[in-house]
Amino acid sequence: MKGFYSLFKKDVRLMKSGKFFLMSLGFLILYTLYVNFGYIKFMDDQRYNVYLYDPEGVHRTILPLVSRVSSREELDAAILEDTRSVGIDASTGETQLILCEGAEKVDRHRIDYASASLQPSKEYQAEIVGFHTPEQKARKEITCELLFFEISAVGFLGIAAVLFREKGMGVIRIHAVLPVHKSLFLVSKLAIFLLSDLVFAVLLTIMNVGIGEGMSVLSSVLLQTALLSLLMALIGVICSLLLKDFRQFTLVYLLIAIFAATPVFLSANTAIKLDWISFHPFYHIYMGMKNAYFGTSTTAPVYYLGYLAAIAVLFIAAWCVFSREMRKEG
Amino acid sequence: MIEVKDLTFSYGKDKQVLHGLNFSVKDGEIFGFLGPNGSGKSTTQKILTGILGGHGGKVSLFGQDILTVHSKDFFQRIGVLFEFPYLYANLSAVDNLKYFSSFYPKAQLRDVEEVLEELEFKRDFLKKPVSSYSKGMRQRVSMARALISNPRLLFLDEPTSGLDPSGAVLFRRIIEKERQKGTTVFLTTHNMLDADLLCDRVAFIVGGNIVALDTPKNLKEQHSNYRVAVDYLYQGKREEKTIEVGELETGIPFPHDKIISIHSGEPTLEDMFIQYTGRGLT
Repeated sequence: MKGFYSLFKKDVRLMKSGKFFLMSLGFLILYTLYVNFGYIKFMDDQRYNVYLYDPEGVHRTILPLVSRVSSREELDAAILEDTRSVGIDASTGETQLILCEGAEKVDRHRIDYASASLQPSKEYQAEIVGFHTPEQKARKEITCELLFFEISAVGFLGIAAVLFREKGMGVIRIHAVLPVHKSLFLVSKLAIFLLSDLVFAVLLTIMNVGIGEGMSVLSSVLLQTALLSLLMALIGVICSLLLKDFRQFTLVYLLIAIFAATPVFLSANTAIKLDWISFHPFYHIYMGMKNAYFGTSTTAPVYYLGYLAAIAVLFIAAWCVFSREMRKEG
Repeated sequence: MIEVKDLTFSYGKDKQVLHGLNFSVKDGEIFGFLGPNGSGKSTTQKILTGILGGHGGKVSLFGQDILTVHSKDFFQRIGVLFEFPYLYANLSAVDNLKYFSSFYPKAQLRDVEEVLEELEFKRDFLKKPVSSYSKGMRQRVSMARALISNPRLLFLDEPTSGLDPSGAVLFRRIIEKERQKGTTVFLTTHNMLDADLLCDRVAFIVGGNIVALDTPKNLKEQHSNYRVAVDYLYQGKREEKTIEVGELETGIPFPHDKIISIHSGEPTLEDMFIQYTGRGLT
């Protein structure tokens, strides 16, 4: 225990001197500002304005969001002024939709939107199956993405930065002749990154999802965070001990970012569907995190067994490359 | 203290680097292990310090087979100085030593500042980061790291490398002091002067074989021509004559006014190494 404490204390000092904690705090502030002052506002975009010229009173029960105009000239002027809007001319007794041309799919959407706004709301009511407001949903989605990115990319780089420093100083070799169990050298690093990632996950979730909502999903989110943190830290350890320098590491990092993370984000968050994505392990990891945020945590034992097996295999691999590093000369 | 019998080691199937080494090191002895680069001396030291496993033959330290002594207790009893001064560059000398000594029981530790003082480490640099130290200062801190736990067995790899002549003299004095305390020293070096001045016995290793093992004195004497060169003045002229050592028993056996110097024709340890191995220590 004494040996572990010494290693842990030394690693904290190394990370402090490498400004890791400061960097994490910076990312936390940056992400929070982005979510609260950028992403949420962007997602809460203005709806399309609908202008109605209906001198005959054809449409009596319209939604409150429709603005009535008193002449065709006024209708044309409003549409030309607000090019995203949709005009409805019912002066002939028939409903005619008028708009400035844009993209085909968007125009169809605007037409449907304007038509729907003329229907009585009760007849057009959709069945509500979820309980999240659009803002809550957007907050959870973006917080999940940012947390996943932070752990898989920033944490991964952080552990590599610490290990490359120790490797460069040659001090790993001294640990081979110290009266301490050698695996504690790895365990102390994993413990620090795990703790740091857990604290980060708590703060990011509370600050961006909200205290009440955040607290209700925190335990599941922390479980997913812990698993991902261990996985990425071990991959970081292996890569940094195997690769010669930070430049080579950066290339591997780019490969991971491009070939591992990109298809996962595309499949999970956009309409793009990739047939093979279910074979991509990071897709399941990301979905595990996303499900935790939406209160539908994965309970399949195979998911957790797979995770634990991967962590065990990676730990053995990390131990092998660490032992090799201790035996190196010069 | 150390018993090595028929030690063999291979890196992979076809790369055998040690071919059946046999030697022993007694308690309190300074044993020199000399060989050129790639001769197998680092591999031997790694096996003895428990860093490298998978060897053939038998290796015993502290009376126990190395395969059974890889415990905390074993590492508490040894001190290792590596060829390069490996230290945390962001920490000071004091913090490095405090960190490395934190793995040992307090009762066996020496005082950090006292060890550094013995190594004549500049006090102004005690709390400055290692990144600001010269190579000699780093070597002093590394030596302090090896000594701080009062080891019973000390492995030193090129201890005087990177030191100026006065630093090298200081290190030799400290190693000698360790011997007086009863510490056994396994010294791996290229430096023949260090080996000659410090070692009780030396082994020459070449190509994974020990080709000679004896005291430096015996090794040199075995190949001595027992002659001395006398430099002298006679009737205002400077002259030199080579005579048999035995001729000196009755005084200088030729007329002279003043003896300037007498040089032994005995070979140096380096001459002996070249004679045994056919190559220099590079």
